[in-house]
Amino acid sequence: MKRSIANKTKKKIKKAILIAIAVLVALIVFFPIIWIIPAAFKGKSELFSVPNTFFPQNFTWQNFEKVFSADINGTTFLQSIFITLAVAVLSVIGSLFVNMLCAYALARIEFPFKKFLWPLLLFPMFIPGITIMLTSIRVVNMLNMVDTIFVLFVPGMANAYQIFFFRQFYLNIPRNIEEAAEIDGCSNIGIFFKIYVPLSVTPMVINGVGIFMGAWNSFIWPTLTVMENAGLTQIMQIIRMLNVSYAGDYGVVIAATLISLIVPMVLYAIFQKRIVEGIALTGTK
Amino acid sequence: MLSNYSDKSKKPRLFKYRNAKSAFAMMAPAVLLLLIFAYIPLAMAIVRSFQNYTTGEFVWFENYDYIVKTPSFTKAFGNVILFTAIIVVAQMVLSFFFAHVLKAINAKVANAVKILLYVPCLISGVVASIIFMFILNYGGGLITSILIGLDIDPIAFATEGYWPIACVIVPTWWLGFGYNTLVMYAGLLNVPKSYYEAAQIDGAGFFKQMIYVTIPYMKNIFILSLINLITGSLQMLDIPYMITGGGPLDMTMTPSLYLFNSFRDVNRPQNVTIAGSILIMIVIVTINIIAFKCIHSEKMED
Repeated sequence: MKRSIANKTKKKIKKAILIAIAVLVALIVFFPIIWIIPAAFKGKSELFSVPNTFFPQNFTWQNFEKVFSADINGTTFLQSIFITLAVAVLSVIGSLFVNMLCAYALARIEFPFKKFLWPLLLFPMFIPGITIMLTSIRVVNMLNMVDTIFVLFVPGMANAYQIFFFRQFYLNIPRNIEEAAEIDGCSNIGIFFKIYVPLSVTPMVINGVGIFMGAWNSFIWPTLTVMENAGLTQIMQIIRMLNVSYAGDYGVVIAATLISLIVPMVLYAIFQKRIVEGIALTGTK
Repeated sequence: MLSNYSDKSKKPRLFKYRNAKSAFAMMAPAVLLLLIFAYIPLAMAIVRSFQNYTTGEFVWFENYDYIVKTPSFTKAFGNVILFTAIIVVAQMVLSFFFAHVLKAINAKVANAVKILLYVPCLISGVVASIIFMFILNYGGGLITSILIGLDIDPIAFATEGYWPIACVIVPTWWLGFGYNTLVMYAGLLNVPKSYYEAAQIDGAGFFKQMIYVTIPYMKNIFILSLINLITGSLQMLDIPYMITGGGPLDMTMTPSLYLFNSFRDVNRPQNVTIAGSILIMIVIVTINIIAFKCIHSEKMED
């Protein structure tokens, strides 16, 4: 009897220690983000003072005012937020449409040369961006896409990984679902939009958020393709430009960085449950 | 999978392929886009890697020969091996153990922790670099402030000693830790409880259970994480670009950063750089094929 009580307390202590470790690790991982929040409200002189304090001694909105009023190589911060949002939304819509249609056809319709086509659709997953970087620029140049909004979302729209992901998802849906519709004379495209699209909300959210974040965070490709058209400058390019030109007034860079995190955080707050579930799904299969 | 239909009965070919037209219509956008923005650039890259840059004459493997003898590039490959080794240890081991911690605590706390952990995974390399450069700032960042408080000379992390390597690896680790932990956690939950019970009856402790039950069962997840980490380090670009610029003395140079810099440097022969990028692709494809074979052959055994 005594021993089991001792065991129980021992187990409880062990659990408490584990919880403490978990919370501590989460806080450490989260800390860098927390650290820049008050920093964005610090004045120039205070930002790099030693000793450094967490809360600003003199609270100021100055950094944010500068971020929004500054002319950054011919564009403004707000303009770049809007254009990046537009690109991200276009990417999500375009990608989901193209890849889901393709995945459905691969999963559900029989056609000749399927065995031959499937690996060809999959292979681009393994082509590193850097390998085709230079020649891709050549291609978009030939298509007259450079310095237009199209260059920012069209080349990445078809995505082997997403095709693979959606195909896998559709293969797991029982076939009899569509048989009734087929008997009613629905075409394949009709079946896809009426039956499969409503069923794929979860993978659409998981992939959609991924595509959105990819567009929001993209830096290398826009740097190379929208150099002349300042109006299309993407948010990460702006942050990098600020990082160079405001090195002496770093609070501005920190404020811009903080604002750039708002959109992903809001998105994550909305879809967080599905995203975390989705990792379990994609990572282990 | 592919022959679901033909299994049921031997339907005539024509009937089996009756919807082929709509299939082609549905696949056309993706196929065209991949052709234009993946295959054509790749074909162009392959052709150019065999050509002389100025004359356009086919020189076959001369460019490849040149790039593998370029010290910066070979150093970059060596760096990747080192980075991967460090990241694999830091990322996989820590994530694996932390997943165990998450599994042991109650679900509500674990969920909250999981949500917090994943946040850095949404952040770009550019933003992560800025956050870390700010914290590590030599002139008066948080770390300098703490070091001075402890009476230690401040360290210029981006240039001093071997610190630049840490400067590049820590943010990279930070961006990936949440994802890897969640994947490991999901993998842990998939291990059937009965396996552990059987091991317990045999008297296996925590570590024995881990070695004989958990690790073999999660082998595929380890392989996948490993490929992700290797291909990730081969393609690591924006963090070293922002924080160290690949320096000092190429200490933090990665193959992708080397190629990225070369592409923007008119003085370096572009076709040689392309040859280098083809080599990276070959490495990535090879690693994936090996991993795929490992996973597949094991499934056959089951």
